Amino acid sequence: MPLLINQNVVADDKWLRVDADTLAQHPEAAVIVPFDVFAAEQETLLAGERPLAVQINGDQDFDLVLANLERLSLVVIEFPAFTDGRGFSFARILRRKGFTGEIRATGDVSHDRLEYMTRCGFDAFEISDERFSDETCSVFGEITVHYQGSADDERPIFRR
Amino acid sequence: MYQYNEQDQNLVNQRVEQYRDQTRRFLAGEIPDDEFRGLRLMNGLYIQRFAPMLRVAVPYGLMNSVQVRKLAHIARTYDKNYAHFTTRTNLQFNWPKLEEVPDILAELAEVQMHAIQTSGNCLRNTTTDHFAGILKDEVEDSRPWCEIIRQWTTLHPEFAYLPRKFKIAVTGSSEDRAASQVHDIGLHLVKNDAGEVGFEVLVGGGLGRTPMIGKVIHKFLPKHDLLTYLEAILRVYNLNGRRDNKYKARIKILVDALGIDKFRELVDAEWAEIRGGEMHLTDSEIERIKGFFAPHPYSTDAVNGVAALESKLAEDADFAAWYERNTREHKVDGYRAVIVSLKPYLKAPGDITDVQLDVVADLADKYNFGEIRSTHDQNLVLAHVQAGDLFALWQVMAEHNLARPNIGTLTDMIVCPGFDFCSLANAHTLNVADQINQKFDDLDYLHDIGDIKLNMSGCINACAHHHVAHIGILGVDRKGEDFYQITLGGSSREDASLGKVIGKAVPQADVADTIEKVLQVYVEQREEEERFIDTVRRIGLTPFKERVYAPVN
Ligand code: HEM
Ligand code: SF4
Repeated sequence: MPLLINQNVVADDKWLRVDADTLAQHPEAAVIVPFDVFAAEQETLLAGERPLAVQINGDQDFDLVLANLERLSLVVIEFPAFTDGRGFSFARILRRKGFTGEIRATGDVSHDRLEYMTRCGFDAFEISDERFSDETCSVFGEITVHYQGSADDERPIFRR
Repeated sequence: MYQYNEQDQNLVNQRVEQYRDQTRRFLAGEIPDDEFRGLRLMNGLYIQRFAPMLRVAVPYGLMNSVQVRKLAHIARTYDKNYAHFTTRTNLQFNWPKLEEVPDILAELAEVQMHAIQTSGNCLRNTTTDHFAGILKDEVEDSRPWCEIIRQWTTLHPEFAYLPRKFKIAVTGSSEDRAASQVHDIGLHLVKNDAGEVGFEVLVGGGLGRTPMIGKVIHKFLPKHDLLTYLEAILRVYNLNGRRDNKYKARIKILVDALGIDKFRELVDAEWAEIRGGEMHLTDSEIERIKGFFAPHPYSTDAVNGVAALESKLAEDADFAAWYERNTREHKVDGYRAVIVSLKPYLKAPGDITDVQLDVVADLADKYNFGEIRSTHDQNLVLAHVQAGDLFALWQVMAEHNLARPNIGTLTDMIVCPGFDFCSLANAHTLNVADQINQKFDDLDYLHDIGDIKLNMSGCINACAHHHVAHIGILGVDRKGEDFYQITLGGSSREDASLGKVIGKAVPQADVADTIEKVLQVYVEQREEEERFIDTVRRIGLTPFKERVYAPVN
């Protein structure tokens, strides 16, 4: 699955996806932990030293993620369907809280949403093979005029 | 009116190319159907019963003659020589070809028009009072505020995938001609005790399956806070609106479920984070936008035309009848606002031909500073016509079937296209509108009945606002046959209320007769000068029910 970071295709992902069973098998690795596992194992995970990431979707408790931002270097936001716009607001709020780590979109992520996602604060995208093509990276810059402030630039057009 | 600068123009141009590319990728099989659906809807393209339907944005109903001529050209070149104005003051083309839509959009962009966010689950076109800027009692012209909102909503990255569509209406006077209380957000320009202008904010109104009147969330929002407050409401809705059931996804359901006080708390908490931030409006921006809506260069001689007008009114009864119903007072002496009736006899309400569009554009150039407005009840307005020009204007309009003197009367109906065009319809509407037209063609009778609002929708989606009509008609399907449910007592105005169903749905053949019975009760029971709606409110539904459902012997 192609991974785009800062508008470029990245060959390999330094993050390892784990679940409840595999978490213990990689004690040193930088891991992406599903939200449920994160919620259940909070104390151990937060006390550890290794690079930590959480994957969350719109149905899960975003406040728990917000409360632990210092310990997270990546937040993965899942889009179960392309119509689910909650992740856009999640990213926006993360950036507003001062989160400077990576915000990665996963799930139903494709060409026509990448620019909006970037504006909301995402800087990384996992795109399925069938939705990825050479043209995908050319989406950035399709629309260069932005009226509203957003995470990429909080200033609306009238303040720029 | 607002004029695009280079950036505005770049945006619509880039959007055309973006959509052209999306269409190309869709036709090449690179975008799945359901995803393209979302993309095309955000660009106003539905796939309907016979063909796609393209909804062109008319921000707050304001157009100039160049734009209207372009719409005529599009109707002629890409469609079947007509178009349709909607309750949202937009314009629909019923027969464009999917492959040609990018070309249509490119033509629209040439005249500063587009179809951005005219459909789909995003922030829609903001609507307002079609008499904005010309009223004596107005707190402030609402249109600059609509333009400020238009810019904020356009391609808003965070709110492009909301739980459901989202509509905002703004009004500037104590009268409400924008149905603001049945919008997701209604904004009323008001003055506080200190004489400052701000907004009363309503939230959670809407029609459709679960009609609701909006609730006051803020009594006086300072005007510089407009965008941050809207943003706070939208963020709370985006995060908390239901996404499991599209019928329960509108903000009205969320507000109702939480209660307005709890909802306000959430909004206030969010607002506290952003209130003083970058989206806080600046004086210079407000002034810049207001500058586009400065009063037209009205002639001080206009009052001189009044004498000529009066003699014409005395001579010509048809002209006088039209003047009486289809023109309104203007704050500048010697001027009148003219309503162009798109409700001619036996034609689909809201339809307009390419020829008529051109005629209206010419008249606007000649008599109205080149300005044309569309109204939420599917008519057009030429808002600043000199008294002395009215007769000549009327003659041209009459010749082109645009001057039926029926504004505000029973035949000035809002009617959705229903089964003839809409794939969601349960019943026909246009033939029932014809039936009503045939039954109530007598002008004296219509004028005697006076102000009355009749709206008809072909299904529960309520595109024609039937819930808030004095007489509402809703098409329902009974085993493959068209039936119609009648409601009485609705209003979309400042006294907003939802109509109540009078009883079981009537078969198609009986609709006009049923309305006749309802009107008989009114005529018998009304007190001096009492409007239909006031009679209904005073005497209740029972007398109407009794008459309509009286056993036939
Ligand atoms: C022919 C194509 C049309 C289709 C497929 C269509 C579809 C819909 C749907 C599905 C809704 C319900 C949305 C909801 O409850 O969330 C709706 C609402 C609405 N439509 Fe249409 N519509 C069409 C034409 C029109 C026309 C011609 C008008 C104006 C005459 C119109 C004005 C409206 C309005 C004002 C509402 C909002 C009612 C509310 O506040 O809930 N639509 N439409
Ligand atoms: S009310 Fe129903 S039938 Fe009429 S246009 Fe709307 S969706 Fe179609």
